[in-house]
Amino acid sequence: MLHDYSAAVAQPTLNAEPARYDEVVAPDGSLRPAWKALAGAAIGLDREELQRISADVVRFLSDDGVRYSRPGESPSWWRLDPVPIVVSAEEWAPLEVGLAQRAELLNAILVDLYGPQTLLATGVLPPELVFGHGGFLRELRGGPGEQHPLLISASDVTRTASGDWQVLADRTGAPSGIGYAMENRRVISRVVPELYRDAGLHRVAPFFQAVRAAMIDAAPGEASDPRVVLLSPGPQSETAYDQAFVASSLGFPLVQGSDLVVRDGIVWMRVFGRLERVDVIVRRVDSAYTDPLELRGDSHLGVTGLVEAVRRGTVRVVNGLGSGVVENLGLAPFLARACEVLLDEPLRLPSIRSYWLGDPDELEQVRPRLEELTIRTIDRTDPTGPLTGDDLLERIEAEPYRFVAQERPHHSQAPALGPFGVQPEPVVIRTFTVRHGSAYRTLLGGLGSIMETGRVPRSKDVWVLKSRPDEPDQRLVEVLPMTNVRAPAAMVPRVLEDMFWFGRYAERAEDTLRLVIAAHGLAQDFRSRPWSAGGQNLRVVSRKLRDLSPSPFEEDEFDEELRSLLLDPFRPGSVAQSVASLRDAAQAVRDQLSPDVWRVFGAIDRAASTLAESALSHEVTNSAGRMLTAISALHGVIDSMMRDDGWRMIMVGRAIERCQQVVRLLDGTVTERRGIDVDRDVLSTVLMIAESAVTHRRRYRGYVRPAGVVELLMFDPDNPRSVAFNLARASEVLRALPASTGSTRPERLLADLQGELENLELASLVVIEGERRPHLQQAVTTVRGLLSRFADAVVEVHLVSAPTPRSFDLPRPVREVAP
Amino acid sequence: MRYQVRHTTTYTYDADVSDSYGVAHVTPRELPWQHVGRHEVTVDPGATDQWAATDHYGNTRTYFQVDEPHQVLRVEAFSEVEVLTEVRDDEADAQPWETCRPAGRREVVDAWSATELVLRSDLVPHAALARDYGADSLTPGRPLVEAAMDLMHRIHADFTYEQGASTVTSTIDDLFEAQAGVCQDFAHLTLACLRSHGLAARYVSGYLATDPPPGKERIVGADASHAWVALWVPGGTWLALDPTNDQLAGERYVTTAWGRDYADVPPVKGVIYSEAKTSLLDVEVDVAPV
Repeated sequence: MLHDYSAAVAQPTLNAEPARYDEVVAPDGSLRPAWKALAGAAIGLDREELQRISADVVRFLSDDGVRYSRPGESPSWWRLDPVPIVVSAEEWAPLEVGLAQRAELLNAILVDLYGPQTLLATGVLPPELVFGHGGFLRELRGGPGEQHPLLISASDVTRTASGDWQVLADRTGAPSGIGYAMENRRVISRVVPELYRDAGLHRVAPFFQAVRAAMIDAAPGEASDPRVVLLSPGPQSETAYDQAFVASSLGFPLVQGSDLVVRDGIVWMRVFGRLERVDVIVRRVDSAYTDPLELRGDSHLGVTGLVEAVRRGTVRVVNGLGSGVVENLGLAPFLARACEVLLDEPLRLPSIRSYWLGDPDELEQVRPRLEELTIRTIDRTDPTGPLTGDDLLERIEAEPYRFVAQERPHHSQAPALGPFGVQPEPVVIRTFTVRHGSAYRTLLGGLGSIMETGRVPRSKDVWVLKSRPDEPDQRLVEVLPMTNVRAPAAMVPRVLEDMFWFGRYAERAEDTLRLVIAAHGLAQDFRSRPWSAGGQNLRVVSRKLRDLSPSPFEEDEFDEELRSLLLDPFRPGSVAQSVASLRDAAQAVRDQLSPDVWRVFGAIDRAASTLAESALSHEVTNSAGRMLTAISALHGVIDSMMRDDGWRMIMVGRAIERCQQVVRLLDGTVTERRGIDVDRDVLSTVLMIAESAVTHRRRYRGYVRPAGVVELLMFDPDNPRSVAFNLARASEVLRALPASTGSTRPERLLADLQGELENLELASLVVIEGERRPHLQQAVTTVRGLLSRFADAVVEVHLVSAPTPRSFDLPRPVREVAP
Repeated sequence: MRYQVRHTTTYTYDADVSDSYGVAHVTPRELPWQHVGRHEVTVDPGATDQWAATDHYGNTRTYFQVDEPHQVLRVEAFSEVEVLTEVRDDEADAQPWETCRPAGRREVVDAWSATELVLRSDLVPHAALARDYGADSLTPGRPLVEAAMDLMHRIHADFTYEQGASTVTSTIDDLFEAQAGVCQDFAHLTLACLRSHGLAARYVSGYLATDPPPGKERIVGADASHAWVALWVPGGTWLALDPTNDQLAGERYVTTAWGRDYADVPPVKGVIYSEAKTSLLDVEVDVAPV
C-alpha cells in the first residue's frame, strides 16, 4: 500500500495549486516517522486486501447500525475509509497544547460575554460581532455565572503546506462526533488488527472515562450521586447514532425534552408516576430550542422552564446554554488579542486567516478578492455553506458586521482507498477537548474526514502514536476504568412507548414475512394452474395479502406484488415499512438495547439489497427467508434483556400484535368454506403462516380440520402462537407494570377479552351456513375489536407522554388616546 | 407625578390548563427620573413557584409556574411609582445627528452597549422603506433631537392609530402598506427609521397616565399598556419619544422595561399544557394619580 501510495503522491499534478502537506510521504519521497514505524505491518495491505477490509468495514458499520443523515436528507450509512490518519507524538504535541489553550480561551470569552462584558467595553471584541450573532442568548445573561460553561469543545483542524496546524472552525455549543470517532476506532481495530497492535497508538477509551467524570463532576451543589442525562432532539436527528452511542457508552440515559419537567425551578425526569431530580443535562439540542418559554417558542424539543432552572443554578447544562456564541466565525481575527488580555499569553494555535467585514479596512482589503475567498455569515445562518452570487457584495455592504471572509484552507492529504487503490485525498480532523479536573485535555485521536462534496463524506480514524511504549493511554493515569456503566433504565413514558412499538413492529414484520413466503411458495407451484386446489388456495392467500396491504398490482403479478411487499417502504403494511418503523423505535431507545439489535437490521438490509439486485423469482423466498431469520433473532436479543418495564412493554406489544395477526389470518380463510381439497390446502397454509404446522401435526396426526386449526390458534393455552396464550402472557406482564392496580382500563378490557374467548364454543364456531362459518366470523370480528380497544387503552394508561407546550395567546400593548 | 399602577392580565381558556409557565415584564424600573415604591406581582391561582430576576437589559422579569388545573389565569401587578421631569442637556441634544452613531463614537462610555440597539432585530429589520422614510427627517447636519422630533411628527401625521390594522406578525413593510397600526407598530416603525441610519434606539414598554374626557369621571381600568421609543444621545441620556401621541415621553409615562423590540419585553408571555381550543385575553390597566 505504502509503495503504491508513494507512487501516487509522486505523480505530477496538472493543477497549479501548491503542493499539499502529505501525512505519509515527505517531500523527498521518504516516509514520515509515524508511518516508518508501521511500514512492516502495512506491507501486507495490498489493493486486494484493502478492498476486502473495506467490505468488512461496511459490514461492521451496518451490523452496528451506524447511520448519519445530512441536514434535510434521510439517513444513510456512515462511511469509513479503512486507512487511518496516523500522527506521531511529536507532530501532535503542538496541536494538543494549542487546543487546550484554545478551550481555555473560548471558555474565558464565554464567561465574560455572559457576565461583565469587559471584552466589549474595552474594545477587545467589537460589540456588533457579539450582539449580531444568533448564538448570543440574552436570556442567559445574569445567571449564576458558571466558571466553566465550556466543558467539551470540538475544533476542526488541518495543516498548512508546511505542516503547521490551523483551526478551521470550533464547535462549542453541542459538539457532535465523538461517538462516531469511538465507533470508527472500534471498527478499524477489528479490520486491521496487526497494524493496530503494532502501531503503539493511544487507545481512546480512557478519554471517554474522563468525559464521563467531567459530566458527573459538573453537577451543581452537593448531590452525592448526581443524575446525568443526555438530551437528544430524537431519533430523526442528523447525529442520532452519535448521541445514542455517547449516552450508552457513558451510561447516561438518553432523554428527549418531553421526558423532563421543571417544578420549583428544578429539572425532573418523569419516571413512571414519580419525578426524579436531574442534576446535569448533556445537551445535543441547539440552545435556542431548549426552552419554549424563554427561547424559541415553536420548539418541541425543549424543556419549559429550563432557562429559569439554569438561572437559579439548580441544574447544569453542558455545554452551557448560549455557549454557541463562540463558534462565531468572526472571532478568529480577535483571538490573539483576547488571549493576551484574558490569559496573558500568546495564542498558540492560529485559526485560518479570516477577515471580519464589520471592520471597514478589512472589507476594503477583501472587496477585490471576493471570488477567491470563502464568504460566510458569522453565525453560519446560511445553511448551504459558503455564499456566492451577484448580490453578495450588496448583502455584505448592507450589514458588513454579519459577514466573514476566510482564505481557502489548504488541507493536508492522506491516503484513502478509491476504486484504483490508495490515492491522496484532502482531510480534516475533528478534535475533542474536555475539561477534566482542573485542565482541558484533548483526545489523542479524532474524527477524520475526507473533504468531498456530494454524498455523506467518508470518515477516517485518527491514530496518535505514543512517545514511548509505556506511556499511559491518553496520558490519563488517574481515571478509573468504567465498570458496569450500563445506563440506568430511564423508563420514561416515551421510552416505554417506543418499546411497545418495537414489540409490535417486530411481530408485524415477522408475520408479514411468513405470509409472503407462503404466498411465494404457492405461486411458484400453482400460478400456472389457477383451477387446481393449490391455485385456488393461492388466490385465497393473495387476497389475504391484499387485505393487509392494498396492492397496486394486477392479481397475476405475483413477483412484483411480493417484491413490493418486501421492499417498498411507502407501501402501507409492507415489510419494509414495518422494519423502518421498528428501526425508528429502536433508534429512539438505542441506549436501552443490546448492540446485537443492529446486527439484525444489518442482515435485513443485506437481504433486501440482494433481492433488489436480483431479478430471479426464487430470490423472493430466499431473501424473505433471510429477513425472517434475522427478525427471529430479535427474540433471542429480547430474551436476554433485563426484566424491566421496557421489556414488559415489548412483551405486551408483541402479544397484542400476535393476537391481531392470528385473528386477521383466520378472517377470510377459515371463516369461509370452499371445496374439501381447497379447504385442506388453505388450512395447511394457515397453520404454516401461523408457525403452528408442526404442533398441529403432532397433535392431530396430520388430519387437518377446521376445528383443530381454530382450537390450536385461538384456544390452545400451550401454543405460543395462540390468542389464549398471548392474552395470558399480556395479562401476566401487565400486572407487573407500576401503573397497574388490578382494575385499570387495560386490565378490565383484557379480562373482558379473556372472558369472551372462554365463552366461545369450538363446536359452534366451525358450524357451516352456506359458504361461511358465521359464528367464527362473528367471533373473529369481536376479538379484533376488543384487541384494538385494549391496545389503545395500554397506550393511554401506560404510555401517554407529556402534552406539547403551547403559547399563552400573546397580549399586545394597546393604547388609545383621543387625537 | 406619583401614580398607583394596577395592571391585570387575564387569560380564560375553554378547558382545563394543567400547567402554566409564564414570564412577566410588569415591574417598573428604578431610574434617575423614576422611583418605585411598593410593588407586588400576584398570580391567581397561586403560583407554586415565582421568582424575580434582572435580565440582560436591567429589567425585572418575573417567572412563575402554576401547576394546579385552572381555566382562568390572572397576573396582577401593583406598583407605586414616582416620575420626575428629566432635565435635558440642550447642547447634547443639538449634536448633528450623523455624529450620534455609536459606531463613530467609540470614545463615549456607553457607545459599545448602545451598539446592540443599532442592529436589526427580528421585529425591526432595517427595511429599505423605513430607511428612505427616515432620510427625509435625518437631513445632513441637522441637530439630533430636532431631526428625531420631526420624524415623530411625520409618523404621527402619516400613520393612523387603528386597532386591528396589524397583527403580531405584521412586518415593517406591512405597516407602510396599511399606513396604520397600534402603539407597538408605531414604536417599531420609528426604531426601523432611526436604526437603519446607524442611530441607537430602544423599544420601551410601560404605561401612560390619561386624563378623563372633560367633565367625565376617570374610569378605572380603561388605560392600557403602552409602548414608545428612546433614542441614544451621546453624553449619557436617552430621548424618549412617543410617536403614537406625537410627544416626548415625560412625567406621565411609567417605564417598565426596554429592549430591542416587543419580543424582548412582552408584559406577559408563557406556555401552557392544555387541550383547550381557545383562549380569551383581557388586559386592564389603571394608572391612578395620587
